[in-house]
Amino acid sequence: MSSPQPSSRIKEHLDRASDLLKDHMQSIATPQIETPNSPDVPPAAFGAGAKGMAMMKRFDESNITSLRNSQAPTPPTKSVVGIGGTVAKPDYSESKIVLAMVGLPARGKSYLSNKLMIYLRWLEYNVKVFNVGQLRRSRARQKAQQSIPSTPSCDAPDGDSNESRSGVQENHSASYFSHDNKNATELREKLAEDSLDMLINWLKNEGGNVGIHDATNSSRRRRANIEERVAQEKGLTLIFLESYCDDPELIAANVALKVSSGDPDYKDMSPEAAREDFLRRIREYQKVYETITEPHLSYLRIKNVGTEVTVQRINGYLSSRIAFYLMNLHVKPRSIFMSRHGESQFNVDGQIGGDSLLSPRGEQYATALPLLVEKNLGERDLTIWTSTLRRTIQTARHLKYPKLTWKSLDELDAGVCDGMTYEEIEKAYPDDFANRDEDKFNYRYRGGESYRDVVVRLEPVIMELERQENILIIGHQAIIRCLYAYFHDLPQADLPYLKIPLHTVIKLTPKAYGCDEERYQLPIAAVDTHRPKPSKGGLEEVPDVAPKTGREYYGEGDAEKSTGSVEATT
Amino acid sequence: MVAPLYTTDSGLLFHAGKILVVTIGLPARGKTHISRALERYLRWMGLKTQVVSLGDYRRKTLGGAQQLPPDYFTLGNKSKETMELRARVSKECEQTIWDYFNKGGQVVIYDANNGTKAARTALAERFDAKGVHVIYLESISDNKDIIEANIRGVKISSPDYRNWDPDLAVKDYYTRIRDHEKYYETVTETDWPFIKIINVGEKIMVNNIQGYVQSRIVFFLMNIHNRYRTIYFARSGQSLIEHSYKADSDLSPAGWEYAEKLKDFVLERRAKNLEARGLDPTDRRLVIWTSTRRRAHHTAHPFLDMHRSPSTSQQHPAPARSLAYSMSAPTFISPDGLPSLHPESDTPLIVGTGKAGGTAKGVTTAGPGQLQVPASADSSPPPRDDVSPSPSMQSTTNKRVPPKVKVVEKPQMAEINPGIWDGLTPDQARKYYAEDWERFVNDPYSFRAPRAESYHDLSIRLEPILIELEREQEDLLIIGHASVIRCLLAYLIGLPASEIPAIEIARGDLLEVVPASYGVHSQAFHFWDGPGRRGEETPHTLGNGGHARDENNFYENYAEDTRGKRKFSEAEGMERPEGLVAKPDSGLLEKPDEEA
Repeated sequence: MSSPQPSSRIKEHLDRASDLLKDHMQSIATPQIETPNSPDVPPAAFGAGAKGMAMMKRFDESNITSLRNSQAPTPPTKSVVGIGGTVAKPDYSESKIVLAMVGLPARGKSYLSNKLMIYLRWLEYNVKVFNVGQLRRSRARQKAQQSIPSTPSCDAPDGDSNESRSGVQENHSASYFSHDNKNATELREKLAEDSLDMLINWLKNEGGNVGIHDATNSSRRRRANIEERVAQEKGLTLIFLESYCDDPELIAANVALKVSSGDPDYKDMSPEAAREDFLRRIREYQKVYETITEPHLSYLRIKNVGTEVTVQRINGYLSSRIAFYLMNLHVKPRSIFMSRHGESQFNVDGQIGGDSLLSPRGEQYATALPLLVEKNLGERDLTIWTSTLRRTIQTARHLKYPKLTWKSLDELDAGVCDGMTYEEIEKAYPDDFANRDEDKFNYRYRGGESYRDVVVRLEPVIMELERQENILIIGHQAIIRCLYAYFHDLPQADLPYLKIPLHTVIKLTPKAYGCDEERYQLPIAAVDTHRPKPSKGGLEEVPDVAPKTGREYYGEGDAEKSTGSVEATT
Repeated sequence: MVAPLYTTDSGLLFHAGKILVVTIGLPARGKTHISRALERYLRWMGLKTQVVSLGDYRRKTLGGAQQLPPDYFTLGNKSKETMELRARVSKECEQTIWDYFNKGGQVVIYDANNGTKAARTALAERFDAKGVHVIYLESISDNKDIIEANIRGVKISSPDYRNWDPDLAVKDYYTRIRDHEKYYETVTETDWPFIKIINVGEKIMVNNIQGYVQSRIVFFLMNIHNRYRTIYFARSGQSLIEHSYKADSDLSPAGWEYAEKLKDFVLERRAKNLEARGLDPTDRRLVIWTSTRRRAHHTAHPFLDMHRSPSTSQQHPAPARSLAYSMSAPTFISPDGLPSLHPESDTPLIVGTGKAGGTAKGVTTAGPGQLQVPASADSSPPPRDDVSPSPSMQSTTNKRVPPKVKVVEKPQMAEINPGIWDGLTPDQARKYYAEDWERFVNDPYSFRAPRAESYHDLSIRLEPILIELEREQEDLLIIGHASVIRCLLAYLIGLPASEIPAIEIARGDLLEVVPASYGVHSQAFHFWDGPGRRGEETPHTLGNGGHARDENNFYENYAEDTRGKRKFSEAEGMERPEGLVAKPDSGLLEKPDEEA
């Protein structure tokens, strides 16, 4: 302790004690938390309910007054008032990773990079995929459009790309990818370089965190070039991610997906011809393909989508997290079912949070649920996840499947507002209430959580979901919103407004580039707990959440323009 | 009701079943090191885990290397007796694995060479047949330096070589390795899940690892490193409404004062540590983690402030400052719902600070608190100086260029959530939730009060933090809450989960933890006394032999209210951390060795 002589300290303390006593006498005039009259009712916690709110207000006011009157330098932070506030996004600016894919066409590179992008974006990292194939296609299209208007006949899919002889249209069939085609090879390399430059520029100047270079990067020489280029920049980490596949069935499935999914490279070809051309292209790559073994590089090598993983020189938290995530992916067909608990008593009363039991209608839902699940699931195995709150456990109780309780699936903690109605909160703290609507994702309830906090808490759940097969989650509104947003790659700002009605089972079936969705609503009435985002004009803003299951062939939302891309099916 | 994660009927967690991790590798490849680290990690996750070391078992039953027949460690051409002896030892050792599983254990790490394919396959099949998941964990090293360092550092100090000449022992050990090399078969079989670690984490290969616990193991192994660094732990400052989780209130005047003290003390202490190692403290960055709770990240504020306005950092928080606050102190809300005085006005404080050198509330022990510091610790000035730097010292501190600091707020690090018990006193909790209270007292680790978190829940929530903690290479200061620090310390030191709630973490102590190869070295430094060090004294705790039972926020501070504290001595009715030094009997300092 900073200490004057002990004797003087004693005097100080005595003085202080007497001053405080005076304070104390004054403060007795103000009412405090009441200890309940009935012996069975526990005292109200701070903030809970209207009484607690009143106490909280008095406390905050007293706090502010005391700070204002204080002669000491004011503590450098704003003091707490009200029911919460907006919190800033954490600083991720130090994470700068170039993730370069390695692998032959049809090895699931784009699938992996897409999954990774969604996962990291959900965790709020700024991620972008720089797909060389997209760049090739869009440049070629531009060129075609600039010159004589004719149908661009691109025929060659993914992998690398080009931009080629000024002319009308480019031939992107397998011969373009042949390494004997010197001209095209140069063009393809140029494209890969351009794309890497764009990536680095984005990392450096546009606040990017992880740039994924989605190309075949199939030779040692190409990888050495990338290494050299990245080494010119300060503070960038380079990791290679090789997707290696020698399972003929997996490859065949990928090839089939490729030629049937509307790849513009194969737009005007019969499926057989497309398949032929694509296989030829793979053979062209195979000629020069060198699997990654360079001992000085940082890399992850994933064999047959996760059966074998090699991790070399992976340093840095985000990198190891990426590795861990990729290790947990699988491509077995499965569905994820999500449902909120049946209508609860709090839902009926309009209160938020709490640990109430189901309402009679909620009970009906719980009773009807087994049949619905059986009908949709058939004989397949299923595991049920619930939160630790009674309403989800009650909802799940008639289901005859293995069950697991997750603390992490508990509803967003509304802190001091737990147990209140929105009307009560609005009345007590009109300004705060409006603030929450301004930026709901970042708004943290005092003594509780924000949506971002929930996202962080759900990360292990996501990891586990990726590993599992058929799962039914019986959860809560905010929780399902977050999980749903992850699977559909929906933007953060819309997340808190997603419509997840009661008494509805959502079935998500992961596909190569997104999830198929079906909803089954049981005809059991329930209150609507959805609060739309109030918009300036007074009209309800419903976020456009059409999930995408199609692959983007041109990038940057070009998908809509491309005739081939598959649009959302929900 | 569905069984919560931590109280399944079988006692097994994460629906992972029983797991046998079979280590594979030549002698001196760090198998034991990895096994112990893994054991610590899994135990911390709440899994009943045990390392079964063939070498330890053999030593226990047969004695050291000199008592063994000369052909004991050679794999070919052994005498019949030796063969039988070896077979007996490994059979009995295997029996201890079975015993552990039968007793309800979930994970066994079998620490032995398991170098031949035939032997390990037979072993794996025996366990697989009984439904145990088998994973191979191979540690490979082709780096001569790593191997030699391992032999010199660990092997020749094993009981096998007691009283041997070091060079002879090393030579003998190399012979042992060479014998093994002849018969060693690296894992190529893909029919069992395997993890290969090459040169202590330089490269990791993973085959067919399935299951939650298993993939956690891999993730963990991917993150451990052995760069020198120090981890500091300190509690957050006292807040205005200390006993309420929901209030998420600001720091009290004492809390702000504490924050300033903490900054000064940490910078001083860290600078000393680094300079002693010939490192410049301004070269390396100090990373600070706090929670998103106001009391925690506000406590980190002075660290940021010192860069923003140098004048503030030099202005030492004089008593006048806290006085100024107290004069117009906000109404303090005590747990029983009555307005109380500001805690600073409580008489015990006067007594406490009245005795120079401080006797009350651990101040005495604070001086001798340095007793816990191993003799080697350092030539730090007498504790009283640490506690209250003299003006001259103060100015030297401030003349130092402040190190680069980064403060990160982590939502996972919030204190344990007391649920419906928020704001209650233990008496109130006992009265209104009698049944829950009973269960809580019986098992404070596992019991989850309604809407609250159990320590197990907290441990699971902290798991990502733990990995980041392993990963972090810079010096780290964790400004945390008692419950969070308890969990993290228990992990680092390797305390059993059930003891986590009983670890006392006093405000005003800086805990310093330095990870070493076989555990951690830790010390506690006392640097501050004041209101809220152990919760405020209330009149009725005064008659309690001076014990500052923390009536406020009792769920978070449960340890201060229990009798079953471990690692804490009681002197004159005062509890002090015993320095939290890893003890030889805790298993962390064992230096077992290799066996075929």
